[in-house]
Amino acid sequence: MTQAIVVEGLRKKFGHREVLHGLDFAVERGTVFGVIGPNGAGKTTTMRCLLDIIRPSAGSIAVLGEDPRRAGTGLRRRIGYLPGELHLENRTTGRRMLEHFEAISGPVQPGYIDQLAERLDLDLDRQSRKLSKGNKQKLGLLQAFMHQPELLVLDEPTSGLDPLVQQVFHAMVREAVDGGATVFLSSHVLSEVQQAADAVAILRDGEIVTVSTVEALRTAAVRQLRFTSTGTEAPDVGALLGRVPGVANIAVRELPADGHAAGTVEATATLSGHVQPLVQELARLNLTDLVLEEPDLEEAVLTLYTGTSPAPGHGEGPGSNNASGSGSRPAARKEGAHRA
Amino acid sequence: MPKILPLFTKALTDSWRSTLAWALGLTAAIMLYLPLYPSIGGNSQMQDLINALPPEMTKALNYDQIATGPGYTQATLFGLIGFLLMSMASVGWGAAAVGGDEESGLLELTLAHSVTRVQVVLERAFALIVRTVVLSALVFLLVLVLNRPSELGIDVGHLFGAVVLFAALALLSGTAALCAGALTGRKVYGIAAGAAVAVLGYVFNAVGRQSPDVDWLLNLSPYHWAYGNSPVTNGADWGAAWGLLGISAALIAVGAAALQRRDVGV
Repeated sequence: MTQAIVVEGLRKKFGHREVLHGLDFAVERGTVFGVIGPNGAGKTTTMRCLLDIIRPSAGSIAVLGEDPRRAGTGLRRRIGYLPGELHLENRTTGRRMLEHFEAISGPVQPGYIDQLAERLDLDLDRQSRKLSKGNKQKLGLLQAFMHQPELLVLDEPTSGLDPLVQQVFHAMVREAVDGGATVFLSSHVLSEVQQAADAVAILRDGEIVTVSTVEALRTAAVRQLRFTSTGTEAPDVGALLGRVPGVANIAVRELPADGHAAGTVEATATLSGHVQPLVQELARLNLTDLVLEEPDLEEAVLTLYTGTSPAPGHGEGPGSNNASGSGSRPAARKEGAHRA
Repeated sequence: MPKILPLFTKALTDSWRSTLAWALGLTAAIMLYLPLYPSIGGNSQMQDLINALPPEMTKALNYDQIATGPGYTQATLFGLIGFLLMSMASVGWGAAAVGGDEESGLLELTLAHSVTRVQVVLERAFALIVRTVVLSALVFLLVLVLNRPSELGIDVGHLFGAVVLFAALALLSGTAALCAGALTGRKVYGIAAGAAVAVLGYVFNAVGRQSPDVDWLLNLSPYHWAYGNSPVTNGADWGAAWGLLGISAALIAVGAAALQRRDVGV
């Protein structure tokens, strides 16, 4: 049993409206699997099916080797779940709420709740109705993590959390995975999944568009390039850029002489794919400034959402594995001097 | 730490405020109504006043039996104000137990834990029963305490039987609310179903008693099954009590089976 979740042909109809059109995916044990997609794509419905909160219309699901429909309470004890729309009771404290969840799930290591609460900077003795959205989300995370389950199913886990707490959350995810747990999480923003996930499924209108690694997505993604150079004519710079595979949207202009050295050229372009050929060409220029931005995975994913091909001049799809994907990033960073 | 019946204990502890509020309401009603009996029931002027009322009205309000202590208690407390308060309490709790919980989004997270849906319905229904029993026991004790000072002259055995029917009648509305809530996942349908059982039962009784032409309506009235023979005066019809409790049990079972089969929170 190396797979924590196996979903085959999962369909879900609400009345006549089918919201999941036959999903197939598998999540390896000990990995973080992210699902991204716009609101209404079916992320929450998929997760609810895993927890047996709603029942599939067709297809099969195996969670930790068991069918959630039949497995009963024993299986759910091994899962920690954070709903996408977290609703908590109002007239109680976080501590009492967690005691109740411990009673219907558990067992929780003594002191572990307080330890997590401290990490998340959450006051457990406040009335829950007085908690901010972020603090409620912390409580939701706490109840999902506290019994150290084998599988974490987290629907939009970082929603409402400030960046500092998001870092704590990512650390908690890593620790859980290091301890052998599997994490299945969703988001409508990629940056969230990108940090945590080993593999990413992109869901659109109830169908999986692609399952890919974050690295492969990164290779497919488009980077913004901007630089200034001296001593080369604008048309020559344009021609030089045109020779580099994956470069598009080239705009070159000569800057006015005042305040700049004579013959200063500013160029902008986009790059998809590998960085190395670009760097080789740029080495011929006398650069005074260079910015090669982090790939905007969000944009890469959006092109997948809308169904158009990724970036112009780029042959490989995001699903293809590219060994040099990871190597290209430091090269870009090395020279990325000033960020605007 | 493993707890016994965690959902039951939670339902009880979560509702202690409302239980206390309904208990205070019932206490206030009993303390207002029953001590008035010596100046109303035994008073010939009051009897004249009631005789002057249209007979349809006195029948509808059960005021035709108001001249005796047990009849007065039956008509005012068990038949009217107590019935009203207990039904409201029971319907509110029943509708909130599953339908309200689902509508507020809380049920999803509960079900994601190590509980079964049948367990959720049964433990919460049990909590509803216990609260109804507690309020009914309070009513029993208060009437018992006032029996002598208010010159009611109620037989304790008859009082016990009447309280059992009082509880069973309220429970019927409450379980109807719970069942409808579990079927639909909406609190408002639970309240509608529970209120329908209570109100229609009352109305069918009131109308059915008006003339033999419409007395078939009495057969449809749980209110009449329970109170048709004036249990405070004459002792309980235990068959009616078992019947009411049996229907409640069936409603709980239907609610559990319905929740077991459907999607939650959609």
